[in-house]
Amino acid sequence: MTTARNLRARSSAWRELRMPSRWALLLRRREILVTAVIIIVVAASTASHPYFWSSANVAFIFADSVVITFLALGESFVMIGRGIDLSVGAVMGLSAIVVGFRIQNHGMTLLPAVLLGAGLGVALGLGNALLVGVVRLPPIIATLGTLSVYSGLEFVVTNGNQVDTIPSSITNLGSHTVLPGIPVILVLTLPFVLVSAWVLRYTAFGRSIYAVGDDAEAAYRAGIGVQRVVFLTYVISGLFAGLGGVAFLIYTSGASSTTGINDNLTAIAAAIIGGTALTGGVGGAFGALVGSVFLTVTLTAMSFAHVSDVWQPAGVGVLVLLAVVYDSRSRAGGTRRSPRRRPRGAR
Amino acid sequence: MTALDLPRRWRLPAWGTCLVIAIAAELIYFTLTTRQFAGHGTGMLDLTEQFAPTGVLALGLAMVILTGNIDLSCGASASLAAVVAGTVLAKGGGPVLAIVAAIAVSTLFGLFNGLIVALIGIDSLLVTLATQFILTSIATSVAGASPPFGFPSGFTLIGQGSVDDVPIALLVLLVIGLLVIVAVGYTGLGRSLTLIGYSPRAALYSGIAIRGSLTAVFTLCGAMSGVAGVLLAAYYNSAQPQIGTDLLLPAITAVILGGMDIFGGRGRIAEVVLAVFLLGFLSQGMLIEGDSSLSITMITGLVLIGALVIKFAFERNFRQRMSARLHRFRTLSRDAHG
Repeated sequence: MTTARNLRARSSAWRELRMPSRWALLLRRREILVTAVIIIVVAASTASHPYFWSSANVAFIFADSVVITFLALGESFVMIGRGIDLSVGAVMGLSAIVVGFRIQNHGMTLLPAVLLGAGLGVALGLGNALLVGVVRLPPIIATLGTLSVYSGLEFVVTNGNQVDTIPSSITNLGSHTVLPGIPVILVLTLPFVLVSAWVLRYTAFGRSIYAVGDDAEAAYRAGIGVQRVVFLTYVISGLFAGLGGVAFLIYTSGASSTTGINDNLTAIAAAIIGGTALTGGVGGAFGALVGSVFLTVTLTAMSFAHVSDVWQPAGVGVLVLLAVVYDSRSRAGGTRRSPRRRPRGAR
Repeated sequence: MTALDLPRRWRLPAWGTCLVIAIAAELIYFTLTTRQFAGHGTGMLDLTEQFAPTGVLALGLAMVILTGNIDLSCGASASLAAVVAGTVLAKGGGPVLAIVAAIAVSTLFGLFNGLIVALIGIDSLLVTLATQFILTSIATSVAGASPPFGFPSGFTLIGQGSVDDVPIALLVLLVIGLLVIVAVGYTGLGRSLTLIGYSPRAALYSGIAIRGSLTAVFTLCGAMSGVAGVLLAAYYNSAQPQIGTDLLLPAITAVILGGMDIFGGRGRIAEVVLAVFLLGFLSQGMLIEGDSSLSITMITGLVLIGALVIKFAFERNFRQRMSARLHRFRTLSRDAHG
């Protein structure tokens, strides 16, 4: 991101004018850097525990990261547009519960289930979109409010019951593999990642999300409907969270009133590790995939190294800290602009 | 959005009044509908000890939010403080030692947050998101498989005891509330916190020690999380590692409902205290009426959204009206003189 503003913000702009080596350029792309670290972690773990590189474990890692991938995908859209969505976990849980009850009690099949999950996600995302894009509440407050509302709704909908019998025709997608180590559910997820990457990178709408996130005032003056773009990012976030709920059902074959309660922050963590910045205008769809796979790989490696499960959240925390410290060193070091301050054009 | 920012005393002076009216309405409603709620007048006071920890947490958070930052780790920090206090007591330490140790630990982590935010300059949302995860792990690990419970009465007195029907927890909340009101409104540190939140650049150019103030405010927030943790452990007479983490969202809700601007620089601590009572009585009243805690979460969320939608609409109209009036005045005076 060598926009004029970033250049100006750098402590020594001259350093930027020197052409970096090809390797340095490659490593500057976050997806590639994280992939490299993943390979290192996998190699190190396999060296000490050969089972780590077995097809069963690789399949487990991929399947385990699918739900967070969906949440982080939606979160990426919002974060690139310089927003934040704290409610993705609750939307995911609500979708898992509602779809799960339809499957369990009414024998719903996979395709209608996916459509229902997506529709529900869009409807719940519309709530956020209205509050942020139309009423113009600050996103962190609006989605905090909807987080409370949606997680309360989870409880109301379950009414003390839980989803625990999902037919094997559906859960097989999570446990069966296409090739050794590649679960079906990953293959079903990849198209969503690819389409998101295409939308973000090659469509006018995708580019306008980056423009809004980088500088909403400039985007506004360039004729972009800032409010419309912001509105749509929250709808997309809801859509992916809804799909994540269906993925959760497929993978865990159950759901309860507390499903997704802790996944909001993990999704944000995955997106940040994948290179999407809270300051907006930076990031991508592959980052969400790579970030969540990286989280799962590291946590699995930790449990292979006999680190107690208690320390798994700390692992996530340390990774996020490392990622943001790395960010602040690699990007615009000490520009002291407050990232959460709403840009003037956004209102 | 106009460039005009109104002086503080013109800004929605009604918000505190709205909160007071809402509290009164709520108390009257619950007293009429639920017999146990008032309980000879003292029941209402007893209820306050259940939300005093949330209030203390919210007051610490309010100072951080005033600077335009946020501390997501304060709930986990309260958990850690509770667990540390419980562990010290279980190992045979006295109540004073337990309290000091608990507050010291969470103050240290507050300092850690503050140093990272102030010195490296990373967004506090990210830093405290990370430390929240780390603190959760530490708290769970310290608590172990069977978290400590059953503390001596000298310790539980803080959370359950009362002086002349006034719960000690309520006194702690009110004293801390007064201290924070004074600190924010009448000291140099408070002034610099407000200015940092209002305009970091202006604060920088007026020579305010931004790094020092930010470090101080995160440390203070950590210390107050520690107090909240001690109150929690004393009230529940046990130290579960999730005990304070669940209070994060209610605390943020109280701060925002108290009219604190999430982007910093605007807000009154006294209104945050009022919002704590409003939300606390609401949830306790609903609990007594037999609603589950999760549907209370839902109502809290709806209250937050509703209140803010009204407040934002009102403030925006108000500002637009005032700026239009000012513009007309300027045009008129220019015409008169030109």
